[in-house]
Amino acid sequence: MLFRRIYQFLIVYCVGILFLLMIKYAFSLSNYVIPGIGGIIEIAGQVAPTYIYDVFNTLSVTILGQLISIIMAFTVGIAGRKSSWIGSFIKVTAYNIQAYPIVALAPIIFILLGDGFLSRLLIASMICYFPLLLSVLGVMAAPVRDIEHFYIVTGRMRWQLEVKIRAFENLSKLVTVIAGSATLAMAGTIVAEFIAADAGIGYGIRIALYQSDLAKIFVALFLIGIVISIYQGMLETIGENIKSKWSISKGDMLL
Amino acid sequence: MTHLKTGIYKIKQIFLAIVFFGVIIAVGQPFCAAKEVKLDYRLKWLFNTSVAGDIYADAKGFFAAKELKVNVKEGSPEKNAIKELELGYADFGVASADQVIRALSKGAKVVVIAQLFQVNPMQWIYRADKPEIKVPADLKGRNIGVTFGGNDETIMNTLLARAGLLKSEVKITGVRFDFTPFFKRKVEVWPVYRNSQGVILKTRLAKEGEDVLFFNPADFGIKFVANSVVTSQSMVEKNPDIVARFLTALLGAWEAAMAPENEAVCLEVVKRLDKGNSDEIRQKQLVVTRTLIKPADNIRIGTIDVDAWKQTEAIMLKEKQIKKAVFIEKHLILP
Repeated sequence: MLFRRIYQFLIVYCVGILFLLMIKYAFSLSNYVIPGIGGIIEIAGQVAPTYIYDVFNTLSVTILGQLISIIMAFTVGIAGRKSSWIGSFIKVTAYNIQAYPIVALAPIIFILLGDGFLSRLLIASMICYFPLLLSVLGVMAAPVRDIEHFYIVTGRMRWQLEVKIRAFENLSKLVTVIAGSATLAMAGTIVAEFIAADAGIGYGIRIALYQSDLAKIFVALFLIGIVISIYQGMLETIGENIKSKWSISKGDMLL
Repeated sequence: MTHLKTGIYKIKQIFLAIVFFGVIIAVGQPFCAAKEVKLDYRLKWLFNTSVAGDIYADAKGFFAAKELKVNVKEGSPEKNAIKELELGYADFGVASADQVIRALSKGAKVVVIAQLFQVNPMQWIYRADKPEIKVPADLKGRNIGVTFGGNDETIMNTLLARAGLLKSEVKITGVRFDFTPFFKRKVEVWPVYRNSQGVILKTRLAKEGEDVLFFNPADFGIKFVANSVVTSQSMVEKNPDIVARFLTALLGAWEAAMAPENEAVCLEVVKRLDKGNSDEIRQKQLVVTRTLIKPADNIRIGTIDVDAWKQTEAIMLKEKQIKKAVFIEKHLILP
């Protein structure tokens, strides 16, 4: 799973670079518009140590941001699963907050939290959590009638049990969404760094853009792609392990 | 019956006249259109008073008078006129000197045909209740804002080096478009474009009862060229007539836009495109822009300051922004 993710990314990246190089040579564009392969390698040698550190800095915020968004999404999703007034209020609030573009909210966040770690974390969480919330709401709001019926008629149903049944029955879906949300968390962190931060790969990209240095952007994109592929691959592997363990325990229960 | 015949005859005459003029217009149109040259002109920044002359040229028919149909396109941080020249999205553009020199160092075939700003608008604002910065050495111990990667960082580095100050003797803080750290006094000396952000900040702080001063690196011998008009080498070689017509129209419009007697008209045409600022701000911005574009009556707008360009290149070389000299003077098209 992990290696497949990496080589798939490498294929996509190389195809993208080759396409740009084809355009460069077909239209005789200068290195200022699209850098040559030699230039990219040279720049990679210069900036790689800094950018590797920056990407891991971004990844650390991404992981934390994703964790927060998972907690937020499950809390809101579980609280909002009922079609009660509170449930519908939570959903509407969540939808509304997501409707505001993050670039408009960013200045308010920066005034309150400054342009450091906390702002990056909050923005990463905000961008990541909404798709998670939708999935969690979808899972938690859909009853598993066959199983739940038994507990309801025997009077043993509690909200914790309801949540467990629904999560267990939709585990595959939840794992896929959580793994997929890693890219959103990464994108959110990079956006936050791009808008206002003084660390991370998003900040590095911003400086490279100031200098119209596309070679640096290519290096940054490569590192982001590799790191996110590894991270996502790891999440998927963990998810597969959890699923197989739960399947075994489910089988044991049935036996 | 006779009246009817006369009436029909008149209708026929009118019909023939319409057909005749219609044919004349239809036949004549392609010839007229053939004379008019369509061009794209990419600005460096958003429509505001700092591009008053460019807006004026379009609005007041300076381009049309030279039989040019110019699409004046708004700029932004993401847009790069030099790249657009090479990709064929623009025929002329506005770029800063550092952009031009960096592009030349990477093989772009770009030339400078006019220098719009004679004084770089990139300056630093600070509160008047703080000690005045009379010499660069007065920066010692201050918290100075710079845009990392931007040309203000290069200018500040040069200034500090000339003043003999080490970076450890000042506090450098990375800044962006959000002025909050300056308002909250976290950063003491903040980089601004003197004629746009500088005016807005000064006005805003004045309303709070605070006075400000500006620190201009040019006062201490740092000549780092700002916005200039650029085009491709091939345009100059293949269409010198179009370049001459474009430049005459553009610089003529800038002269007219900066003339104090045309202030009201200029502000009116800028207002049509710049909806974000008040009349008061635009008027103040125009006054400051005038001092940067035409600092003295005897300076012709568009004059290329070759020494300043050479100094800009030397600074960039020293700051390792470029690997080797591009001999910028060879890429300046002087009148």
